[in-house]
Amino acid sequence: MQFHAFDRHYLEKLTSGDFRTQEHFVAYFSELIRLKLSRRLNSLSEVEDARQETFARVFAALRKQDGIREPERLGAFVNSVCNNVLLEYYRSASQEPTSDDEEAEANIPDPAISVIDVIANRQTQEKVRQILDQLPEKDRRLIKAVFLEERDKDEVCRDLGVDREYLRVLLHRAKKSFKSIYLKRVAKEAMQG
Amino acid sequence: MDHSEASRLMASEKYLLDELPPTEMEAFEEHLFTCHECAMDVRAGSVFLEHSKAELANSSPRVEPRAAEVRPWRGFAWWRPAFAIPAMAILLIVVGYQNLVTYPAMKGALAENQAPRILPAASLVSAVTRGSAPSVIAVRAGEPFLLPLDIPPQNAFQSYVVELQNPTGGVEWSLPVSSESVKNTLTIGAPGVDKAGHYEVVVIGRNAQGQNSEVGRYPFDLQFARTANPEP
Repeated sequence: MQFHAFDRHYLEKLTSGDFRTQEHFVAYFSELIRLKLSRRLNSLSEVEDARQETFARVFAALRKQDGIREPERLGAFVNSVCNNVLLEYYRSASQEPTSDDEEAEANIPDPAISVIDVIANRQTQEKVRQILDQLPEKDRRLIKAVFLEERDKDEVCRDLGVDREYLRVLLHRAKKSFKSIYLKRVAKEAMQG
Repeated sequence: MDHSEASRLMASEKYLLDELPPTEMEAFEEHLFTCHECAMDVRAGSVFLEHSKAELANSSPRVEPRAAEVRPWRGFAWWRPAFAIPAMAILLIVVGYQNLVTYPAMKGALAENQAPRILPAASLVSAVTRGSAPSVIAVRAGEPFLLPLDIPPQNAFQSYVVELQNPTGGVEWSLPVSSESVKNTLTIGAPGVDKAGHYEVVVIGRNAQGQNSEVGRYPFDLQFARTANPEP
């Protein structure tokens, strides 16, 4: 089964509890939610709690009779639920996950990791290594200093004699080289289920 | 924020680099959750960076600030005849070339630059205002020329960059300009070029967040004249 868009068919499967659809849904939005939350919350555990709470509320809303009617608004709905979860976190540091629906309090696991995923991870790592090996030494040092060592970006750019635009273009090109294999991997995972 | 704006702003890259101001970040996230292309772009970038960190953690040493770099002294190894003799020969050739060719040419150029002369100037009008026909300037190949430029000052920008795009679309040179300078007409002395054709002066504004936006584009056609500009 190929996932193309969040259409009516997808929403029906999601609402009816189809496992593969739910797995795809969680896998698709988990990374986006993590990226959003990690920019606002202080710890990995808070990020994970908020991610789970977001999905719990989304699934609870899906199960309601008048749930989500417009499938094309599914992404925007997930984003707004995540915003509400964040708002509550800001209001109270010790917010406990709450839901009127007990079933929704069940853990929303990370997408399952299988042997196939391990192999795919190795292939991904190999591809990233190839991309990095093709970069000039300066560019590798730039990526390492900014993303691994988390040094101040202006300082690193100054040390390496480049500007912030150079850094953005470098990331753009590296991401573009990587994206094709990443999309193939995601499509393969979606088909394997 | 729509998809075209996200692409134009390089929003995916800025998001991954934590460079988006809060309002733009929220607007981009709102778009991200509804746009499959941007979502996959950001996801790919995030996965790439995670794997890169793992890869680079096992590789070259930490990037040190420039001041901390220390190079070892190699001692007298370079004085061995096997290195010294060819090095001396190369040095002699270089010194000879500089004295016989380079310096006389530089003296001539300096003398020419110190003498007053008339330089050709392009009449630059914004592409939007002028419409289809760019202005034409005739220069000798390699001769410098003037680019008088009126940039309408905008409060949104802290500084500007003026670029000259050559006929192949490449950037011939790039000149930073302060917001103070644009209050008056800029008269840019452009170095001579070796290709005739269609050029464009591109003015880019930079705001406090370091974001660039194109302010204006001033096309002109450069032709090579056979003779120097006439004396008065």
